[in-house]
Amino acid sequence: MSGAAPPDSVAELVNAAKMATLGSLVAGVAHELNTPLGALNSNHDVLKRALERLQGILADEVVEPHELDEVRRIVSAVDGVMRVNDLAVERMVTLVASLRRFGRPDLADIDHVDVRESIDAALVIVKHELRGGIVVERDYDDVAPVECYAQEIGQVFMNLLVNAIRAIDAEGRITVRVKHADECVRIEVEDTGCGIAAEHLGRIFEPGFTTRGGRIGMGMGLPISRQVVDRHGGRISVTSEPGRGSTFTVDLPYTLQTGGNAQ
Amino acid sequence: MPDRTTPTILIVDDEEMVLMALRSFLELETAYRVVTSLSPVDALDTVRDERVDVIVADFMMPAMDGIEFLRQARDIRPHATRILLTGYADMRNAIRAINEAGLYHYLEKPWDNDRLKLVVRNGVERSSLVNELDSRITALESANVELLEIRSRLIKAFL
Repeated sequence: MSGAAPPDSVAELVNAAKMATLGSLVAGVAHELNTPLGALNSNHDVLKRALERLQGILADEVVEPHELDEVRRIVSAVDGVMRVNDLAVERMVTLVASLRRFGRPDLADIDHVDVRESIDAALVIVKHELRGGIVVERDYDDVAPVECYAQEIGQVFMNLLVNAIRAIDAEGRITVRVKHADECVRIEVEDTGCGIAAEHLGRIFEPGFTTRGGRIGMGMGLPISRQVVDRHGGRISVTSEPGRGSTFTVDLPYTLQTGGNAQ
Repeated sequence: MPDRTTPTILIVDDEEMVLMALRSFLELETAYRVVTSLSPVDALDTVRDERVDVIVADFMMPAMDGIEFLRQARDIRPHATRILLTGYADMRNAIRAINEAGLYHYLEKPWDNDRLKLVVRNGVERSSLVNELDSRITALESANVELLEIRSRLIKAFL
């Protein structure tokens, strides 16, 4: 854990990284909201039309037999609409809950976190970045909650997932594994992307090192992730094969290590 | 119950909720037969096997984007009217869609139901007119062949 930044500095870095991540993902998140919103918008209009038609039929007080077919058609449409609304609302609630989980300042404190929930929340936010061509497989063992700075660990998972997505050109696979390993929970993020050249492998956790052309915020995700993991008394490592992909492994102690830089 | 002459609208989107919302609206507001597909690959089989008058496709789908799907659909059933429904309304894709897929219309998500109904109804009319024009041309060509044969027989008979 040598070279780890002071805790306040880590928290500030994580906060800056979180804002940068959200900024880069905001268009995708907006699109993810647009789909259920579009369905709800259309359905609201369908319900108004259906109600108007039913009112028209019922205005005569006597429903003619031929009007019953129309009523059945309306009921069928309303039934479809209600099922879509359930799906759309559920999708929006999940997305908003994931955003809140990612951005809530009250989670900056030490908490007991189910890392699977934290990873799933990050996956909801980055879903759009998968562009339909990247398949995500989750292989989760039943693990106990981890004592940690929830926001910071959430940012580590987000960094690793965004990294994996950007390593894949168009189509590929990301496998996320969560398992028990001695006194730690082990999280592996494996991608089938471009991989990392051997000469770069030893430098990817250095602040500012990037092979992606020096865009703003680039080159800080992995150094911040290492600082956060160090702060928790854990370990982050990588194996990679150019052209075949990379696997990042994070070992997090179940109990926050006092020997680390925890406050 | 739709019969064989009822116009068919094929909707392709990898989002089930979009398909269901569009189906609910079109079935309530129109008499068209509505067929939906979550997969552009499966939808191409529908285009091949069934009469389809209007095709509405999402842009971003796994395996094949909406423009490529509509391009292939045009090869199979050139008279079907092709409409792109997308959350990615940008000029580059619009031009690509018009050039590569012979797009009839471009609708943005979230869509307006009245606008959608109008575009689909115009699309059905366009498809019907193109089909009618095609059958008239075929009839004219056949009549022309017949006339040429008669002319040839007349020439042989009198010369």
